[in-house]
Amino acid sequence: MKLEDVAVIGVGMTRFGAYRERTLVDLAREAGLRALDDAGVSFRDVGEAFVGYMQATPMTGIRIMKEFGLTGLPVSHVENASATGLIAFREAAYAVSSGRCDVAMALGFEKMTDLARGSGQGRGVGRDTIDSVILPAAYFALWATRRMYERGTKPEHFARIAAKNWNAGARNPWSHRQPDHVVTIEEVLASPKVAEPLTAMMSCPVSDGAACAILARKDLARRLRPGRPLVVPLSSSLQTETYTRGHTFLGPVVGPASMTRDAALQAYEEAGLGPSDVNVALVHDAFANEELEYYELLGFCAPGDAEKLLEEGETEPRGRIPFNTDGGLIARGHPGGPTGLAQIHELALQLRGEAGARQVEGARVGLAHLVGGGSVCTVNLLRRE
Amino acid sequence: MAAPERTWVPIEPGFFTIPSDRKETPRLLGSRCAACGEVFFPRRPICARCLGRETVDVPLGPRGTLYTWTYTHFPLFGSRRADAGGYGVGQVDLPEGPRVQAVLSGGPGAFRIGMEMELELEVLRENSKGEEVVIFRFRPVVEPGGAK
Repeated sequence: MKLEDVAVIGVGMTRFGAYRERTLVDLAREAGLRALDDAGVSFRDVGEAFVGYMQATPMTGIRIMKEFGLTGLPVSHVENASATGLIAFREAAYAVSSGRCDVAMALGFEKMTDLARGSGQGRGVGRDTIDSVILPAAYFALWATRRMYERGTKPEHFARIAAKNWNAGARNPWSHRQPDHVVTIEEVLASPKVAEPLTAMMSCPVSDGAACAILARKDLARRLRPGRPLVVPLSSSLQTETYTRGHTFLGPVVGPASMTRDAALQAYEEAGLGPSDVNVALVHDAFANEELEYYELLGFCAPGDAEKLLEEGETEPRGRIPFNTDGGLIARGHPGGPTGLAQIHELALQLRGEAGARQVEGARVGLAHLVGGGSVCTVNLLRRE
Repeated sequence: MAAPERTWVPIEPGFFTIPSDRKETPRLLGSRCAACGEVFFPRRPICARCLGRETVDVPLGPRGTLYTWTYTHFPLFGSRRADAGGYGVGQVDLPEGPRVQAVLSGGPGAFRIGMEMELELEVLRENSKGEEVVIFRFRPVVEPGGAK
C-alpha cells in the first residue's frame, strides 16, 4: 500500500557509542526530546508511538515511554532484529497515512555493550543448541567468499568500502567511529581477521544509542515548520524469505540475498520511482561486502558490475549515488533497535539540506535499507517536497 | 584393553543419525514432500515449496559439494578474541537439493569451493550422565597435501 499524506517532521538521536555508564532510559529520553523539539511538537500531540529494541526485557518500551509523560497514548513494541528501527518507522508512517493518528513517534534504543559484556556466552557463541554456532560475521563472510569465487572480487574491494564508510564517519558528529586520520585500504586490510576474508575494520562496532523520528500529516508539517522542505516517505516495503532450491534453513543469519532485490522492486513500484531517481542510499553494511552486493540488488548497476561502480568512485560522497553518507553501520554504528531510525535521521538532514560537511548536493530522493536476522528485509524511499 | 566407548547422544534429536558402529558415516535427517517431491533439511511437516501437509522422512548425504566457506577467528561477535583458535564454517550442497550450513573441520587453508565434503560427528562436551554430546559437521574428503 502506497503511503499518503505523511511527512517526517522531526528527527533526533544520541551519538552512537559505548555508553557503559548511561541507562537505556537516559539514551531514549535524549533522542526522543531532540526529535520532539526538532518537530516543534509537545509529547501531548503524539497520537501513537512505536518502540523498537532487541535485547531489553518485555514491556521496556512502554516503561520508557512514560519518561515523556503519561498521556495515555497507544504504544506498541516492534522487533525485527537489525531492521527493528525501520519497521518502527514503517508502522508510524502507516499509522499517520491510514488516518489513525495525526502525529506518530518511532523510537529505537539499545545497549549492545550489555550483551557483549554479559556472561561472555552471548547468543550464537556457545554450542548449546544445534542452531547457535554461526555468527553474523561468519555468515556474511560466506557471501564474500562466494562472490570472490564467482566475480573475482578482491579483499581490496571490501576494504575500499570500509575505508569510505569510516571516513564518512569522521564527517558525522552522530557517528560512533570518528577517525582522526584518513582511513586507508591498507589499514583496513591489516586489521585483525574476523572471518576470512573479513577484517575487524570491515565490521560494525558494538554500539549503544537511541534515535527517534516524528511523523505527521503534511499540513501539520507545513504549519509547524514553515519554509522547511517536507521529507515525505513514499513507500516502505517489508519482506520475509521466499523459497527457492538450495534455501538454507538451519544457521543462516539472513535469508537469500534476493530478498533485497524483491523488497527494492516493491518499494520502487509503490513510490513510482526507479534507482536512477535516488540521490543518497543508506544500507545494511554490518560487513563491508554486503554494501557491494546491495549496489546490484538495489538496482544501481547490473549484476556483476558492482566492483566497477565502486572502482569508479560512484558510491563515494561526491559520486553519482553516494552510499552510507553518515558512515553506515561500520562507522556510525549498529546498536540494533535505533539503527534504522539513525538512517531516517541522516536522510531527513540530507533531504532538508542540513547535512553540513556530508551534504549531497541537491539530494531529493533517499533510500534506507536494512536486513534483519531471521530474516526480513525492508526498503524505504523518502522524497523532498 | 581399550577404555569402553562412552554413549553418544545428539545435541538435539531428529537432525542426524548416530551409527552404532563409529566407523560408519552418519546421515542427516530430512523430509521429502509427498506431493511435489522437494527435499528439505532439517525435517519439516509442511512443504516450504507447495505448502503440502504430508512429508516423509529421508536420510540425506552423507556427501556433498562445498558451496562457500569462511574461517572464523573471533567466535564472539565483534567483541573479544577467542581463547582457542577459530573454526571453519561452510555451506554444503547435498545431491538431494538442500544446502546445509555447518561447522567444517580443518584449518583455514583446508577449503576450496567445489570440493567434496563428508558428514562427521564431533564430541562437544560431556553431560551430567557421563554421556558425550555430539553435533554434526563436514570435513573435506580429500585434504590438500594429504595433511590430516
